[in-house]
Amino acid sequence: MQTLHVNGYDMAYLDIGQGPTLVCVHGSLCDFRIWSSVLGPLTRKHRVIALSLRHFFPEHWDGIGDTYSIAQHVDDVIGFIEKLDTRPVDLMGHSRGGHISFRVAQQRPDLLRKLILAEPGGELDSSLDPAAKPGSPSPLAARFAASAEKIAAGDVDGGLQFFIDALEGPGAWARTPAAPKQLLRDNAMTLIGQVRDQRPPFSKADAEAIKTPTLFIGGARTKGMLPQVLHALAAHVTGSKTAMIPGTTHPMFEQAPQKYCEIVLEFLAG
Amino acid sequence: MQTLHVNGYDMAYLDIGRGRPLVCVHGTLGDFRTWSPVLGPLSKHHRVISLSLRRFFPEHWDGVGDDYLMAQHIDDVTGFIGKLELGPVDLIGHSRGGHIAFHVASRRPDLLRRLILAEPGGELDSSLDPLAAPAASPRAAGIVAAAANIGAGDIDGGLKLFFDMIEGEGAWGRLPAAPRQQLRDNAHTLIGQVGENRQPFTRADAEKIATPTLFIGGGDTRGTLATVHPALARHVPGSRTAMIPGAGHWMFDQAPQAFCKVVLEFLAA
Repeated sequence: MQTLHVNGYDMAYLDIGQGPTLVCVHGSLCDFRIWSSVLGPLTRKHRVIALSLRHFFPEHWDGIGDTYSIAQHVDDVIGFIEKLDTRPVDLMGHSRGGHISFRVAQQRPDLLRKLILAEPGGELDSSLDPAAKPGSPSPLAARFAASAEKIAAGDVDGGLQFFIDALEGPGAWARTPAAPKQLLRDNAMTLIGQVRDQRPPFSKADAEAIKTPTLFIGGARTKGMLPQVLHALAAHVTGSKTAMIPGTTHPMFEQAPQKYCEIVLEFLAG
Repeated sequence: MQTLHVNGYDMAYLDIGRGRPLVCVHGTLGDFRTWSPVLGPLSKHHRVISLSLRRFFPEHWDGVGDDYLMAQHIDDVTGFIGKLELGPVDLIGHSRGGHIAFHVASRRPDLLRRLILAEPGGELDSSLDPLAAPAASPRAAGIVAAAANIGAGDIDGGLKLFFDMIEGEGAWGRLPAAPRQQLRDNAHTLIGQVGENRQPFTRADAEKIATPTLFIGGGDTRGTLATVHPALARHVPGSRTAMIPGAGHWMFDQAPQAFCKVVLEFLAA
C-alpha cells in the first residue's frame, strides 16, 4: 500500500479520485476498508484519502506497547495531513475517528477546510452533561475492558461479540454478515490498546473552540451515549449543521451509503 | 492508488503484506475491494496484490468503448504480472476473474507458481459437456437484459436481475447496503460484457494447464457456475477441489475464514 512516514510509523492509506482532498478516519476495530461503500460516490467529486490509524490493519498488531492512544492518533493524523502535498483538507471521522478529528480541528484549524463528524465517540464532562460524574468511567468502559480481556486470552470472536452487542444491542454480532465480521477480527487486538487509553471527556469549551465549518451525521436509530455526545457537541460548535439518517444506526454510512454520500457531498459543495 | 501502466491503461491495485506474491483477480461487477474480507488472513502469510481490471472502479466508466473484452483482460493480467517483475506468482481468480486466470495459466505458465480458480465463469463446449447448446446460454440473455436496464438508467433494476440470476430469486433484496453499493460502482461494466463473445472452455484447454491448480466452489451455488468448475477440474491434471459448505458464488465473502484456510493450505503445501 501507499504509506506516509509519520511520527516514526508508516501510515497506510488509500488515495482515489481527483478534486478537493477529503481525509477519512475510521473508528474502533476498523481500518481504511471501512469506507469501501462510500468510495464510489465520493470519488466522483473528491480525492478521497482513507487512512489506517497506527496499529490497525494492514498492520497485524499484537496489542503490545503504549503507542495506541487518542493523543498518539491525533498527533498522527495531524502529521499525516502535514505530509500531504495539499492543504487545507476536508476531514471526516467516524466514531473514535470522529473523536480524533474533533481534536485535530481543535488543535490545528489551519489544516482544515471542513469537518465531518459521524457519531464521534467519547464522554461528556459536567459542562456538557450536568449528570456526568467526574472521574467515573462510562458505562461502556467496563464492557470494553471485558471484551479486550477475552481477545487477549485468544477468544477473539467472544470478545468481539461482547463489544458489538454492547454498542448495537444483544444479538448484533450474530446478525453481522461474515465479511464485516472478518474486518473486525483483523483489528481485534486494537481493543487491548483501547482499554488502556485514558481519553479526556469533551467539554463545552472544547466544542466552542472549533472554528472549522462542521457537519455532524448520526444514525436516527442509534441508542445510548453516541447520539447524546453528538447533540451535546453540535449545540456548542458554532454554526454546525446536523443530519440524522433515518433507519440507520452507528455504521450509518454502510447501512445507507447513498444517503450518506448525498449529505456529505452537499455539505462539502456548500 | 498504486497503479501499473499496462497495455496503455493504468491498472490500480492494492498491495498488502510480505511473502510470496498472490495476485487476486475479481469477477463481474467486482473490483480490488472484492477481496477485502480475505485480506487480513491472507496477508499474514503472503504479499497480496488485489488489482482492478480495466474499466472497473476506481475508474468511473460510462460503458462507452470497445476495450472491455475477455481477450483484453487476459492480456492486461498477463502484462500486469510481467510488470510486477517478481518472478512467478500465485494467481487467484473469482468468477470472470477465474476465467481470466485460467487463460493466463494456459498461455503463460512461466508466469505462475500456483493457480486458484474460485467458481470460474464461462461456458463449456461439447468436449466438456455433451449437452452443450451452441446457442447463447441463458446467463448471456440475463446479462443482456440487466445491461439494458443499466444503460437506460435503472441501475438497481439491472443489478437485481443479474444478482438474482446468480444467487437465486430475492438475493439482491437480502444483500446488505454496503456490498450493493460496490456493485453499483461497477454497474456500467455489465454494458461492456454484452456481446463480448468469449469462447467456451474445451477439454483441450483444461488438459493444457500445467500449473498446480485448486478449484474452490460454494456448496450452495446453483446453475452453470456450479457445473463449470467440476468439468474443468476433471481434466486439469492433478487439480484439487475444495467446496465451502453453506456458501454461494461469493464464497469468500460469505465464509472468509473457511476460504482462507483452504487457500493458505494449498499455497503452503
